[in-house]
Amino acid sequence: MDEDSKPLLGSVRAGEYYTDSLDPKQRRPFHVEPRNIVGDDAQERVSAEAAVLSSRVHYYGRLTASSDRLLVPPDHVIPSPEEIYIYSPLGTAFKVHGGDSTVKNPSIVTIFAIWNTMMGTSILSMPWGIKQAGFTLGIIIIVLMGLLTLYCCYRVLKSTKSIPYVDASDWEFPDVCKYYFGGFGKWSSLVFSLVSLIGAMVVYWVLMSNFLFNTGKFIYNYVHNVNTTDGFGTNGTDRVICPYPNLDPDGNRTLQYYASENSTGEVFDRWWSKTNTIPFYLIVLLLPLLNFRSASFFARFTFLGTLSVVYLIFLVTYKAIRLGFHLEFHWIDSSMFFVPEFRSLFPQLSGVLTLAFFIHNCIITLMKNNRHQENNVRDLSLAYLLVGLTYLYVGVLIFAAFPSPPLSKDCIEPNFLDNFPSSDVLVFVARTCLLFQMTTVYPLLGYLVRVQLMGQIFGDHYPGFLHVFILNIFVVGAGVLMARFYPNIGSIIRYSGAICGLALVFVLPSLIHMISLKRRGELRWPSIIFHSFLILLGVANLFGQFFM
Amino acid sequence: MSSTAMKKKVLLMGKSGSGKTSMRSIIFANYIARDTRRLGATIDVEHSHVRFLGNLVLNLWDCGGQDTFMENYFTSQRDNIFRNVEVLIYVFDVESRELEKDMHYYQSCLEAILQNSPDAKIFCLVHKMDLVQEDQRDLIFKEREEDLKRLSRPLACTCFRTSIWDETLYKAWSSIVYQLIPNVQQLECNLRNFAQIIEADEVLLFERATFLVISHYQCKEQRDAHRFEKISNIIKQFKLSCSKLAASFQSMEVRNSNFAAFIDVFTSNTYVMVIMSDPSIPSAATLINIRNARRHFEKLERVDGPKHSLHMRIR
Repeated sequence: MDEDSKPLLGSVRAGEYYTDSLDPKQRRPFHVEPRNIVGDDAQERVSAEAAVLSSRVHYYGRLTASSDRLLVPPDHVIPSPEEIYIYSPLGTAFKVHGGDSTVKNPSIVTIFAIWNTMMGTSILSMPWGIKQAGFTLGIIIIVLMGLLTLYCCYRVLKSTKSIPYVDASDWEFPDVCKYYFGGFGKWSSLVFSLVSLIGAMVVYWVLMSNFLFNTGKFIYNYVHNVNTTDGFGTNGTDRVICPYPNLDPDGNRTLQYYASENSTGEVFDRWWSKTNTIPFYLIVLLLPLLNFRSASFFARFTFLGTLSVVYLIFLVTYKAIRLGFHLEFHWIDSSMFFVPEFRSLFPQLSGVLTLAFFIHNCIITLMKNNRHQENNVRDLSLAYLLVGLTYLYVGVLIFAAFPSPPLSKDCIEPNFLDNFPSSDVLVFVARTCLLFQMTTVYPLLGYLVRVQLMGQIFGDHYPGFLHVFILNIFVVGAGVLMARFYPNIGSIIRYSGAICGLALVFVLPSLIHMISLKRRGELRWPSIIFHSFLILLGVANLFGQFFM
Repeated sequence: MSSTAMKKKVLLMGKSGSGKTSMRSIIFANYIARDTRRLGATIDVEHSHVRFLGNLVLNLWDCGGQDTFMENYFTSQRDNIFRNVEVLIYVFDVESRELEKDMHYYQSCLEAILQNSPDAKIFCLVHKMDLVQEDQRDLIFKEREEDLKRLSRPLACTCFRTSIWDETLYKAWSSIVYQLIPNVQQLECNLRNFAQIIEADEVLLFERATFLVISHYQCKEQRDAHRFEKISNIIKQFKLSCSKLAASFQSMEVRNSNFAAFIDVFTSNTYVMVIMSDPSIPSAATLINIRNARRHFEKLERVDGPKHSLHMRIR
């Protein structure tokens, strides 16, 4: 018999098919949770191939002695880890590193997971948003938008329950849209979901360029003992600066961009420029990370996001204590240092808040592992309350503590950390933490874009290196372009928030609710009026971004 | 002696190490003890005590060990081995480097079949396909199939590509068994009527010994395409457990708030599995329906059944 049979035409593995080796290290481990047909628990979506392989392995194991390796699966038939579970957008990607997912989470863990997922970079834009809307109106809008998005989120959560005859227990919201609106529903929910994800990725690129710039500048200044005064700001130890001061208060309200770095200055300033060079340096770091096949490595770092938010809260509290409150109430009229309480630019805040409170495309998956499902609504409301309070806290404190006599409230930047000089140590720590955290979330977002887009178009999450690479080039290119020419994260957030919010927050949940009521014959006039009003609000929100 | 009293054979042949023992163990739920696995060629035909489809007996035989010895053996014992063969299943190892030799032995077997059991059905399994890279599997299988069909003339052979690590083995053997059940098309037609009358979601017909799905009827789309193999594996594991207690499996009812499933003996060659998604229908009703249908289906099998159907044994 042939001892060393070379396989024909590119076989995967030669000669080891039936080995008697008892060495466990030679075999790839494989385990899949058995499907529980008795309980109503939601489970991970195991891919069909892994499920049937598991069935075979169990059966073949009964046919030989336990030490017999005859019917043990060889490595090449065991699917790779990312082919064992099916990832739905945003939700189950976070389960990748997790241990036992058939364990149900107590309410507190669910609430925390929702808070953690919702807390995004919009927290940095909260003071600016309140400034755009006016202090009082800003607070009112935060509360109202929180309630509105909470109601729409509740509608999303309930949307799978009202589908008759079909087991929709492991459907995500895009699946529900496909059920009600067919292919159009599937594609439109995909497009709008992608808008939110790519908008977030662009914001991340701009912010990462910003943080990297400031970090590098801090280190350079510290090493070379340079004491620069960048921009116009307060004096004293807790310095607050106004990067783009409007030196012509009687002119029109458009911001004039002053070049705060002299481009013909020192060599360092030329090579280390926030808009000219750093966005391109980031490509070298991040583009390779985007091309990874699996995002499981990056999902381990979600705790960094929590740490960053907690640190930001601490930083905000500290600054408020040091700077004190500077509030003056001018209701409609504007003054030199303060903004009116009610401003007509308030749609900008509502746009930002639509993205700040956005979790509608993965709330179903996040809620599935709640131990007491009957408390879902209560837990969701609590989570929204916590998120709202966090945003309010940061926004109100920074706005109130902004030193208004020397500086105008109008100076509050869309990223409030920009109002602190690069020599501020505490803020430097915040920027570094956020930079590191964003570097780990960015590939995760890229992975989600890839999974959703490639999954819908090609049916395969990784159709080929070239496809994925081209997609990554587009996404990175969009980020670089924005960082180079229009690094205003407030605008990016509000436009992408309003666009994706229109479909996934306002229109689709309300429409689906009305259609399901109609099919059951329970549609009444108050419901129609209320939900149509919600849809109109969403459209008005979008129009407000363009015209205000 | 009337031919119906003689046991008809299913020959499972192929080169040593091509995977026949594993295949038999998996399909027929036989325990393989470690020391029964040989490192060399089988000298004698391995008779198995497995019966299926009524009175077919499975014979396992290695083909092509030590050459001259086998040649002699072949010629002297040949008639004995190849007489009364109902089915020949020949297993080819896709990784084998001795294609010429394999084909040579295959042809010898065919000649013997032609002489002794010309009515036998021939199936060729190209096995261990998981060792071939995925994008080349179709190509390689097509090549082999063409060669085999050409070599088999004037006999007709049906080729399958199989591997124990995917669904191809199960499907190949299901097709083989499907072609061996007498009256299978009529059974299918009546199965559909039966299912519609009792308002079942799905009705499956299994072969008795191997629990291979012969035929099924479903009234709506089912999500899991691999459910037949999974059910087969589960029941075979249960049968293995039963055999440890010297008990034999006869019937099973599984019920919860979403569905009720009944597995029971049906005809002499088959088992039936009925799945009802309306749990309010009492079990007794469904079991009575199955029992009444059983009589009807048995008559079907008996009427135009060919000679080897179990009930025709003449005393």
